[in-house]
Amino acid sequence: MPKHIARLVLLMVAFIVIAVAAKAFFTRDSFYRYGHYRADSVPAIAGMATSFQTPKACISCHGARHAEWSGSVHKTVICEVCHGAAPDHPEKLKVVIPADTMRLCSQCHEQMPGRPKSSILQIDLRKHFPDAGQCIACHNPHSPKLPAAAVAVDRKSADAAVAACTACHGANGVSTNDAWPNLAGQNAAYIARALGAFKTGGRANETMGPMAQTLADGDVANVAAYFSSLPCRTTGSGHAKGIAAQGKSVARQCIACHGTGGRPVNSAWPSLAGQNPAYLEASLTAFKEGQRANVFMTPAAGALSAQDISNVAAYFAELNCSARFQ
Amino acid sequence: MRDQTMKPETKSDVPARRIFLRDVTRGVACAGAAAGAAGLLAATASATAEPAAAPAAPAQAGTPASFPTADYDWTKHRWAFAVDATKCIGCLRCVEACKRENHVALDAHHFRTWVERYAYVDGGEKPLIDSMPDKENIAAAGSETVYRFANKYRDSKVDKAFFVPKLCNHCTHPACVQVCPTGATYKTKDGFVLIDHDYCIGCQYCVQACPYGARFFNHAKGVTDKCTWCYHRVTKGLQPACVEVCPVGARMFSDLNDEESIVSRFIRDNRVQVLKPETGNAPNVYYVGLDKEVS
Repeated sequence: MPKHIARLVLLMVAFIVIAVAAKAFFTRDSFYRYGHYRADSVPAIAGMATSFQTPKACISCHGARHAEWSGSVHKTVICEVCHGAAPDHPEKLKVVIPADTMRLCSQCHEQMPGRPKSSILQIDLRKHFPDAGQCIACHNPHSPKLPAAAVAVDRKSADAAVAACTACHGANGVSTNDAWPNLAGQNAAYIARALGAFKTGGRANETMGPMAQTLADGDVANVAAYFSSLPCRTTGSGHAKGIAAQGKSVARQCIACHGTGGRPVNSAWPSLAGQNPAYLEASLTAFKEGQRANVFMTPAAGALSAQDISNVAAYFAELNCSARFQ
Repeated sequence: MRDQTMKPETKSDVPARRIFLRDVTRGVACAGAAAGAAGLLAATASATAEPAAAPAAPAQAGTPASFPTADYDWTKHRWAFAVDATKCIGCLRCVEACKRENHVALDAHHFRTWVERYAYVDGGEKPLIDSMPDKENIAAAGSETVYRFANKYRDSKVDKAFFVPKLCNHCTHPACVQVCPTGATYKTKDGFVLIDHDYCIGCQYCVQACPYGARFFNHAKGVTDKCTWCYHRVTKGLQPACVEVCPVGARMFSDLNDEESIVSRFIRDNRVQVLKPETGNAPNVYYVGLDKEVS
């Protein structure tokens, strides 16, 4: 073989050896195991940490909330949609309690061309209580549906359910004791909301908790409609501890929601006119001291002195509950 | 649609163009080998050949029976995604959830999944299309880290409008995998198209090859990125984050090997369509409720 050809062959062989060696060196072990890729990257991707934990992770500590939410129309909206992904909760991370519910809720519920009406209830932000401020003023985000104020009373089942209530709240919805609230003429939506809160433990009460738990959802609506339909009685006047005249100035901050005559515009809020003063006082004190919690009432009651509370309770107790709806 | 058993591709599955190119590549490789440069040219040829055409090496000794994890065997699943655009409300919870689940850059230009709005306004024949990077939508959201559709057609005469969620189609014949020069992106046996970020050199051929615009360049890591259908969740028995958070059930994800699973039923019960079927990628995201302008 001529010398220059031998050199060329040698060069080519050397080149091929280097190429094969380089390929073997640079290709990772798992590369051709399943195909033209690195098999080890598959378990690496599969092993990455998840952020969203799903409601199963929430139920163990937030059972009452979970029960409330999973029974409502919002059951398709998982906890982390509003509260944010919480991979490190509760160890390192506090979940978000959304402050601007108007913005949050309208993300889905704002009426918008292209948004199918069959998918979701939509509101025109310019028309649906534009002055209410926050959605949670009326709606409980975990169970947002307001019970219809005018539920037709199913008299038969209402009677059975109501029997348990009348021992304390009176057959005519007027309580036998000053410390318990009158229910006659109270807003049905508010009664239903309160019963719902007792049922889930959102509002703790030794007597009302167990009683509400025996009620089915249909019974709640019936009981609420029944008491709401009874004529209200102003029982508060005359025996209040506080001074109604002094309570009037305190009450200025209440009437934005509870109405000038103690009759609120929105049926999800309680009517206060003519209510038992001891009950009003106890409720405000409970908000102030934290036994009851509400985004609006807790700060409002927290700012009041014990004397203010007595006075404002007296003021609302004096109002005539049969006065026309404000 | 592909057979339920994950057998290697047969010629009839593959577009004619690709068969032709593959045969030509092999012919060149053989000719080269005959010329004496077999090792070098075979390396080039195997890089350009179809990944499934490469012989699957038998499972090595010591390889666990179940791959990729002990609880999840990829040979037992064949996943698919479905979108019912008639239900989508454009709330963009999916978009935010995806970003947080997968640590995607929080701005209006990097998305693994996104939602487009099509609106026929004031008698126009062509729809106006917008999505999250639109200035008005950024203004409505108030920041690029949260996403919201501006209610901009509120006072217009809207003939028709709808939202279309989009994401990687995890195609059966993915063009992105075909063009990858390093084997950094691949099709798994359970139907996912994934990216190996260790092998990706950031050349972005795949970004250009994808007919759906599903891939983007991850500027922080210097690699290509895209939707994984939340492979890390699915292999743990969870749903992808976007499916998990969708409040109206517009997004669905399930295993086609189960004939009663939600996507199997969705495909059976509806006249479904896929995006750009003419490209031959055989996408695996099935839609209902689109019109001819959506692609």
